[in-house]
Amino acid sequence: MTTQDSSQPEVNFVTKTQVGSESSGPNFSVQELKPGGKENSRSVSEHEIVLIGASLEKKISLPSPTKVDLTCKLDDSSRLKDPQVTWKKGSETISHTSKTQNSWTIQVTVSDSSQLGSYTCILKAEEEISATFHLQVPKLEGKEKPVITYERDKAVMVCKTEYNPKAWTWYLANGTELVPIDRILRTDKFQIKRPSPSVNRLEILKLTKQDGGVYLCEATFELGNSQIKFELKVLSIWAPLMPFIAIVAEVAILFTAIVLYEVYSKRKGKESKKEFDQIEQLKSKDSTETQQ
Amino acid sequence: MPAPTQAGRAPGPPDGGWGWVVVFGAFISIGFAYAFPKGLAIFFKEIQNFFGTSYSEIAWISSIMLATTYGAGPISSILVNRYGSRPVVMFGGLLCGVGMISAAFCTSILQLYICVGFITGFGLALNLQPSVIIIGKYFLKRRPIANGLAMAGSPVMLCTLAPLNQFLFDNFGWRGSFLILGAILLNCCVAGALFRPIGAGTALAKTPVNEEGKDALKGKITEDGPMEKKTEEEEGKDCFEKVNQYLDFSLFKHRGFLIYLIGNVLMFLGFFAPIVFLAPYAKHTGIDEYSAAFLLSILAVVDMVARPATGIVANSRWVRPRIQYFFSFAIAFNGACHLLCPLASSYTGLLVYSSFFGLAFGMVCAMLFETLMDLVGAARFTSAVGLVTIAECCTILLGPPIGGILIDTFGDYKYMFIKCGAVMVLAGTFLFIMNYYNYRMLAKEEKERKKKEEHLKSVRTENEGKKNWNKDSTQDGPELEPLRENGEGVKKEMNGTNEV
Repeated sequence: MTTQDSSQPEVNFVTKTQVGSESSGPNFSVQELKPGGKENSRSVSEHEIVLIGASLEKKISLPSPTKVDLTCKLDDSSRLKDPQVTWKKGSETISHTSKTQNSWTIQVTVSDSSQLGSYTCILKAEEEISATFHLQVPKLEGKEKPVITYERDKAVMVCKTEYNPKAWTWYLANGTELVPIDRILRTDKFQIKRPSPSVNRLEILKLTKQDGGVYLCEATFELGNSQIKFELKVLSIWAPLMPFIAIVAEVAILFTAIVLYEVYSKRKGKESKKEFDQIEQLKSKDSTETQQ
Repeated sequence: MPAPTQAGRAPGPPDGGWGWVVVFGAFISIGFAYAFPKGLAIFFKEIQNFFGTSYSEIAWISSIMLATTYGAGPISSILVNRYGSRPVVMFGGLLCGVGMISAAFCTSILQLYICVGFITGFGLALNLQPSVIIIGKYFLKRRPIANGLAMAGSPVMLCTLAPLNQFLFDNFGWRGSFLILGAILLNCCVAGALFRPIGAGTALAKTPVNEEGKDALKGKITEDGPMEKKTEEEEGKDCFEKVNQYLDFSLFKHRGFLIYLIGNVLMFLGFFAPIVFLAPYAKHTGIDEYSAAFLLSILAVVDMVARPATGIVANSRWVRPRIQYFFSFAIAFNGACHLLCPLASSYTGLLVYSSFFGLAFGMVCAMLFETLMDLVGAARFTSAVGLVTIAECCTILLGPPIGGILIDTFGDYKYMFIKCGAVMVLAGTFLFIMNYYNYRMLAKEEKERKKKEEHLKSVRTENEGKKNWNKDSTQDGPELEPLRENGEGVKKEMNGTNEV
């Protein structure tokens, strides 16, 4: 099973246009379409999965109520011929909205969170393959690894998403309890900024060891909430200072060793040169004596 | 330094012994200078989040660092001319360390520009040039190998720094990492301590040597050639000479130097952009992030092997006399790779491209300074490298942004590759043709000089033959020896130094 997230932002230089690319692989070809959720709730967005031989999945992010057309298409090169097609959500069967010779479409009206979920089309012929559409609220982007900060410094946690949520909320995890940070009205300690509608920042000032822990960022969309966790670690200044001192000590030791070696070898060179000069002097003395 | 009794003959470079230790030191130093700015990219996203700035403001840190490292070239050259390589590298290492340590305590992006950009960048500049210069002082016959090995420091350091930086970042955040990196950069001082000063090739040779040189065979074959000419005209041009002592501006009349300068400035316009955009291009064609990063790793590994290998090839007796052609070929080969890149759309194609690119990149880098040394000689190399790096500074900084503009305007990466490929093929061809012309001119001048030499020799032996015959022969012998012993390599030196 291969999964595609159709709302994933394209991280490359060409940010304006969405390049529809055919990513080829062993069994399948999937077309990427423009994320439907960006259009207003009146228009219908279309999503399609083309099946050849293997089952596929696709994730669709919907921030606001809309209508979606989900299409399962059977590729001409597939071995399956004239399959029986059923659309299901969980255990419930849905009837087709429209049908062509090799594609089957349903239209789902998403008006609240109960219509979100997984919609599967099952094609049954000589073998059974399926395509699943996961309709969900947009995912948030944060930092999977812990955020490392230091005492008396400030911590910054940035929560991003592709769409514009109605509201943002931050929580502090106190054991199993979630405490909203808005309730802790300490502007000298916590600051929440919204540089753009789709980005939210939590700044924690004057950090102490107790500030470490789990923080939760929640974005409220019309169709539901989306959350992401941040782990904050507060280290003392001694943590990096130990490796630092170790490396400086290593540098000092190597440096001294090199200088000492050079002084030693120079001294050796001078001694042997003195001997050489003395021998030369004796030789010239000898030769002048013999001349005379 | 040669004792006065041996002043008649300046010793040739050792070509071994402590020289290999110096190569190791240069390996470390050059590695940090080239790889450190690239390795910092891992921290940028976090710093961007922390200060709430845009990506371009963060990218300025890299640009300032690169600009300072290349732009401070002449200052580096002046300091080396005055104090020698060793103190400059040690001071550079100290500066780098101080820069990064203070960066760990920065509270604004402007402070980061100063600490990471200027101070560390300047420290790296003081590391880079002297390391390259001192190789020229320690090696002559085996110089291409030494250069290739020292330049291999860059990919090796990059491969080490990248995972190390990631590890430090995951465990200590960006502030702790900068602190520790500052300590690591202090190792450049250790590398500098290895750069024992050596007598051969010091341009500011003391007077006893010069006077002997003047009286002796004209066209004496050592690197003291230009000094000799200067002392002849020194009475009239005191101030100008002083400036020239520190930074040899007369290089701008040197034919070989000008050819090198123009060719390289052109080449750098398309040199770095493909590396910057390789990973984004791979992601654009649908390859996932880890495979894209793997392409860069392949590039670095091939690069690592290619540099010493190129040094060995360039040292062979078939290539060394025509090393400039080899260099032009390497540049054109690099350009050809880029021109063919748009044809590679699959992952295998990009793997092949990365391998060839790594090979070409390594070849060019290994010979970058070797060819300059070959053209101007080790004595003037100090000034030459400074002047060249400040000229290259502009095009190096312009290359990636121009590529970025091309990508944004056309929405396609292939035009950037075509531009880089075309520029490099052009530079390679230019260098090839101009160096062919240069070699011919040098051969002509060599012939004329030999004729003069023979004429003078016959005149002098006539006059002085009656007097101190013994004294003469002992004077001639040691001076002629370098000519016979060192053969082609020294011939090239001579051709370079006779140029003014």
